[in-house]
Amino acid sequence: MLLYAIRRFGLALLILIVAVTVMFLMIRAVPGDPVQIMLGPRATPELQARLTAELALDQPIWKQLVIFYGNLLQGDLGIDVFSGRSVTEIVFQQLPHTLWLILGSIIWSATLGIGLGAYAAAHPNTLIDRVTAAISVSFVAAPAFVVALLSLLIFAVHLQWFPAIGAGEGFWGRLNHLVLPAFAIGLSWVGYIARLVRASMLEVMGESHIRTARAFGIRERRVVLVYALRIAILPVVTVIGVGMGFLLSSAVFAEIVFARPGLGKLVIDSITTRNYPIVMGSVLISTGLFVVSTALADLINAWLDPRARTAN
Amino acid sequence: MKIEWTKTPVGRRKFLKGATALGAAAALPMGLGSRAMAADGGTLRVRSYGDLQSIDPAFSKGVIDEEIHASIYNKLIQYKPGREWDWQMDAAAMIEQGDETHIKFALRDDIGFTNGFGAMTAEDVKFSFERIVAEETESPNKPDMGPLSHVEVTGEREGTIVLKEPFAPLWSIALPYITGNIVSKKAWEAAGGKATTDPVAESGPYLRDSWLPKEKTVLKRNPDWKGEAPAWDTIEILPIDDENTAEIAFEAGELDFTRVSLGSVQRYRDGVPNSGTLLEYPSLYYTWLGMNLDHPKLQNKKLRQAIQHAIDVPSVLEAAYFGAVQPSTGIIAPGLAGNRAQSLVPPQADFAKAAELLAESGETNVTLKLDTLNKTTFTTAAQVIQATLAQIGIAVEVNVLESGAFWASADNEDLQLVLNRYSMTPDPYYATSWFTTEQVGHWNWEQFSNEEFDKIHAEAAQLTDQAKRDQMYQRAQDLMEESGAYRFLTHEATPVVHSAHVVPALRPDGLALLRYFGKA
Repeated sequence: MLLYAIRRFGLALLILIVAVTVMFLMIRAVPGDPVQIMLGPRATPELQARLTAELALDQPIWKQLVIFYGNLLQGDLGIDVFSGRSVTEIVFQQLPHTLWLILGSIIWSATLGIGLGAYAAAHPNTLIDRVTAAISVSFVAAPAFVVALLSLLIFAVHLQWFPAIGAGEGFWGRLNHLVLPAFAIGLSWVGYIARLVRASMLEVMGESHIRTARAFGIRERRVVLVYALRIAILPVVTVIGVGMGFLLSSAVFAEIVFARPGLGKLVIDSITTRNYPIVMGSVLISTGLFVVSTALADLINAWLDPRARTAN
Repeated sequence: MKIEWTKTPVGRRKFLKGATALGAAAALPMGLGSRAMAADGGTLRVRSYGDLQSIDPAFSKGVIDEEIHASIYNKLIQYKPGREWDWQMDAAAMIEQGDETHIKFALRDDIGFTNGFGAMTAEDVKFSFERIVAEETESPNKPDMGPLSHVEVTGEREGTIVLKEPFAPLWSIALPYITGNIVSKKAWEAAGGKATTDPVAESGPYLRDSWLPKEKTVLKRNPDWKGEAPAWDTIEILPIDDENTAEIAFEAGELDFTRVSLGSVQRYRDGVPNSGTLLEYPSLYYTWLGMNLDHPKLQNKKLRQAIQHAIDVPSVLEAAYFGAVQPSTGIIAPGLAGNRAQSLVPPQADFAKAAELLAESGETNVTLKLDTLNKTTFTTAAQVIQATLAQIGIAVEVNVLESGAFWASADNEDLQLVLNRYSMTPDPYYATSWFTTEQVGHWNWEQFSNEEFDKIHAEAAQLTDQAKRDQMYQRAQDLMEESGAYRFLTHEATPVVHSAHVVPALRPDGLALLRYFGKA
């Protein structure tokens, strides 16, 4: 298990380096002089030249990359050109908002999705199963931005149950402000997880150890929840790990539509303004999040099912 | 009189009172009780389209920062809220133009800085203005101060602003806008001459209480403020870049004031939710179609004139701006010296004349590329222009660019047609400054170069005779239009909505002057 974990995190680190390097090269391939965009129309040529040198933009790309990784190894992500604040400080100020949003979405969508899927699998080919299937497919098909806008109009404007914008203050305030955005980006996952759990459960329910459990007279509820569901949710763990990337991208529009602070919005704003230090800092952290979450999902799978350790 | 200026500490009793209230609020059921409604308990909630970038006026990035700076700092003079451009006294008890290059001022004796930095003196004015123009500061806002030479301190609170040459925009830009903010010399020096996002000393009717990046800026009433009391205890400025989100927040009762999209104007004309009010203001933006005079395809003046006459401005505005804006006559907005009553080329297309000019040009099978920003308004406008030019046989390929690439168009040697928009401050000098020969290769993308225009730009800025300036700037726009390189479209508009509790204080272009916002 330890050897597997080392291998898995080694691969994760390699993926992270490749992703960050690609992003580094891509952002520099985009047309537009970042210094001119950063400083605006009235900056003097001297100031432009100074900032160009400061950001090492007058150096060849390979050298810029070496400088970037050199600074990174010293834990230095650079300084935001606009505000003069440390990039690390800025990124880590925004990160919790995105993490809470993603976590909130995962918790509610996984809870409901697993419940629906398990219930449908326990009652196959009944009206309940068909209704659940219809609901699941509808949820999967619902575009998140439409859900976001509709939920805003219904629950924030019309019913005024939840706040429309911002991230709130204090524990309850933050939780309250999290409801609608987490609902919007988690809804399609409910359907997806429900379908996945149902299919997985039906497969597991046909296996010999389930028949054996039933033969021993164990109650059906215990058979479903303990013996079947524990194995059936393994694919869900993997999907949630991989789904972090999807949720990170969904977080971008949720942060815009709900005017929430967060990493996604920070990346978008920074790319538009060619704020290289912030772009690289944000990409590094968000890619790191994605890579670590998929690695963790693999490790959890390997821990729950030892066959996964040798499958690769 | 010596005043000790200190920040009022929060006493234990006051703290406990606040903490109790907070605790009570937190105990309420989620989704019902913890909702912050706008205009509750003396709190004004307004939307800004971006977040604070710098607390230092020398590095202010424009309107977003200035909304905050204007509330926490003072200037000698401030813009006067209303429909006409005008200024009013702020920190100045007296200000007068001695001669064309000398402006005498005397400060009020009741303004002081926080954090124990004492009363505001003429030394602070001198320090604030001179650091903007100092080379070592490298302030991008230096041009706003124009030909400032120095500030002479003649007394504790008296001084004279000395210019190298006359500069009319001093009264419309330099003093009442970004560069006019007076900071504390002692505080700035104690901070090593720099401030990023935390104020080192404030003096305005409001103080910056807190800043949560990308979330909100909170201003609180300054307890030591001796001027006219501000109406609100707290102002929350929320950075919301999406106008639709801002509108939803307003309708949900979470905002008291916001700019709204032009597409929503008609809906709000029919009624504003929550007993709110819609106000429509002109804007200082100017939008136009430019033609690169240096491009081989656009060397023929007759062709350029054909394009001018073939673009139907009302159709463009109807499609792209929902008919909520008026055609413009140039780059200088209504209400400012130099605004023309009408353009040389009428806003309505004249296809017969355009076809005639095209025939005279001798150009056939004309195909041109039109660069535009990737914003719906501009892409829509570009498509209408494409359709109208097709009617006289000119094929246009619309090239949609992301903002970073678009604003680098000065480096694009293949630039042909460009749909562009710049903003300006309330002085015509600011608008003409981008179209001088000096700006070719920088922001003058049409490569328009005209000696008379350059002369007008240089001379009109030095005149105090507004009637003369008016004539000169009108002539400058005639020259632009005569070159055939410009088809002026619109100055856009600034529609805003506010809740029933609020009496907004706005500049004539609809921008907020938060310190003057009142309660209904």
